[in-house]
Amino acid sequence: MQTQLERSNLTENEKMEAFLARIDRGEKIEADDWMPDDYRNQLIKLISMHGISEIMGALPEKEWVPKAPTLRRKLAIMAKVQDEMGHGQLLLRVAEDLLAPLGKTREDLMQDLFAKRLKFHNVFHMEAPTWADAGVIGWLVDGAAIITQSMSLDTSYAPYARALHRICAEEKFHAQHGESIVLELAEGTEEQRKMLQEAITRWWPSLLMFFGPPENGTITSNQSTNMRYKIRTQTNEELRQAFLKKYLPRIFHLGFTVPDDTIYFDEAKDQWVYQQPDWEAFKEIVKGNGPRSAHRLNLRETSYTETKWVRDAIMAYGRHVG
Amino acid sequence: MDMNKETEANNNFFIYEVFSQKSVNASFVHQFSLLAPNKEVALAMARENFLRRESCFNIWVVKRDDIYSLSPEERPFLERIDNKSYRETKGYGDLQARWRYHREQYEAKQKQAESGS
Amino acid sequence: MGDFSRVETVEAAKQNHEYTQALTDLLFQLADDDFILAYRGSEWLGLAPHIEEDVAFSSMSQDMMGHAVMFYEMLEQLGVGKADDLAQLRAADAFRNAILVERKNGEGDYNNDPHYDWAYAIVRSYVYGLHKQVRLEALLQSSYVPLTLVSRKMLTEHRYHLMHWQVWLKQLANSTPEARQRLEAAIEKVWKDAGELSQLGPNADSIARYGLIAAEDELKQKWLTLAQENFEKVGLVWPGEPGVPAERGRHGQHTAELVQALATLSEVYRIDPAASW
Repeated sequence: MQTQLERSNLTENEKMEAFLARIDRGEKIEADDWMPDDYRNQLIKLISMHGISEIMGALPEKEWVPKAPTLRRKLAIMAKVQDEMGHGQLLLRVAEDLLAPLGKTREDLMQDLFAKRLKFHNVFHMEAPTWADAGVIGWLVDGAAIITQSMSLDTSYAPYARALHRICAEEKFHAQHGESIVLELAEGTEEQRKMLQEAITRWWPSLLMFFGPPENGTITSNQSTNMRYKIRTQTNEELRQAFLKKYLPRIFHLGFTVPDDTIYFDEAKDQWVYQQPDWEAFKEIVKGNGPRSAHRLNLRETSYTETKWVRDAIMAYGRHVG
Repeated sequence: MDMNKETEANNNFFIYEVFSQKSVNASFVHQFSLLAPNKEVALAMARENFLRRESCFNIWVVKRDDIYSLSPEERPFLERIDNKSYRETKGYGDLQARWRYHREQYEAKQKQAESGS
Repeated sequence: MGDFSRVETVEAAKQNHEYTQALTDLLFQLADDDFILAYRGSEWLGLAPHIEEDVAFSSMSQDMMGHAVMFYEMLEQLGVGKADDLAQLRAADAFRNAILVERKNGEGDYNNDPHYDWAYAIVRSYVYGLHKQVRLEALLQSSYVPLTLVSRKMLTEHRYHLMHWQVWLKQLANSTPEARQRLEAAIEKVWKDAGELSQLGPNADSIARYGLIAAEDELKQKWLTLAQENFEKVGLVWPGEPGVPAERGRHGQHTAELVQALATLSEVYRIDPAASW
């Protein structure tokens, strides 16, 4: 086609200018649109990590699926973990379409995960030793996830936006699921309250780490790329503050504490002032050296490897019927 | 996405696009895509992946390779000039007033005839 | 079906002690079968061969557990006990499920080094599913009207799942030699237990006499006919008369695998069954 030829005659610079103009106009980019390599790479990094975190995130809660204490809770947590797998599916599909021109597939993402090249969220490397941990994951980890995901709803990459809209609609149920578990424990016996307090204390540093290190005035190149391309629009610290504003008062209203003696709200600056978690530990955790990293990676790798015959089999059947 | 090339992934699993119909009177709506080795498995997994909460009357799965679509460069050509009022109801806003005029004329004549008799 | 007249309500059922006893026993069989197999299904969460299938598989387990809940609630209405207690606080010897549904998914624990067998998952779900289909259809004629109502609801949901297992069985049966071999091994394993599915336990006679469900033989014949038809349709060798396990699940005899499963599924609830969870 005439026009197509004309367009493809554009220089790389002209394509880039046209692309940035689209971003500035607030237009959305589709999978088959021209995009600069760093836009594609940034999206792949962000979305494949997001997707694989959902898949790995199913594992700590999965520990509590068969053990959930009532029939209703058993059904609810099964549905919730199923949704997490479903969110992983949506996000991996988006990442896979971005990877396709590079000749990579879901298989490569799985192998990257097993080789620790593809990282997943710090929270999913942690232990979840009690039922209250399942509650805290549902309430606060999902709460944190809702804050980051809602911020990205307006992302410039249309397929990601569409996936996030589906995800956020379900996350509202997840947060309520978590709140319901937590409130039951908070209104319950001494033992139940103790269990919950211990879980909050245990998860506190991980929750602070969830949003990534604070910028302290300096923005990393990743972040500035993300912001220039409108992939995301808020900084780590802005997101963390939004989380603290929403959830800290609720923790206090239930009569619980966080393991930070000096935490306070600075009215003038309109922000919570908190003790920094150990960011060196954070780096180690996301590298795959957290308390449960090896165990969960092993769980995923074993099941994936040992069921290869199944995927091969249905693929072989597919060759006959198409 | 390059619709002409075989889109293969995950042990050569294929990408299937999933469409669903909410009720008998509703049109099919695109939901999302999934990876499957063949259409039967794609269909068997479709509802649970995208319609866990919504009601659903019927489902289609279509291999992405079989969808032919406009290229990004062609898509903007879908825009139309807004000069087609002749084919829309808003182009015929005068009709009601004209019918009213005729009814009123008629009723006035009737009244006249009645009072005249 | 027996000649017993229809019993419309819980209150009416309670008028006849023997009837209530037969009904209770049957409801435990129905509830425990679905509950324990759904539990086994829930252990698969996150471990299925393909992410999309993981999601689909979980719905089957959820729906199956949902059916168990409906049966436990019917028991609760009969005054047998609280549904949550019935599911979680009974000892293994009070469970009336068939042995087939309590078998582990494979070697290892769901959270520690699981080496689960997908072929077994498919064959067990499918064979159980075919039997459940026959059982639900028979329950449509039950003398206990509330049971006919829930069965009708369950049938629709169940047929959709059966369709899912059918696709899997057919594809695995007609794919690679390895898959075929694994499938045949799984059929052999399932078949050793499958004969117990249609048994109605120590109260079988009164269950049939009161017209709660069709007699064992009728259930068995219908189920085997349906299974044979479907096995042959996908090119599988019909394994013939199914065996029965050494333990008699419908009589409350169970394997250590059920004891382990019950300990896991009630672990949190048992911390304090009087508390609200």
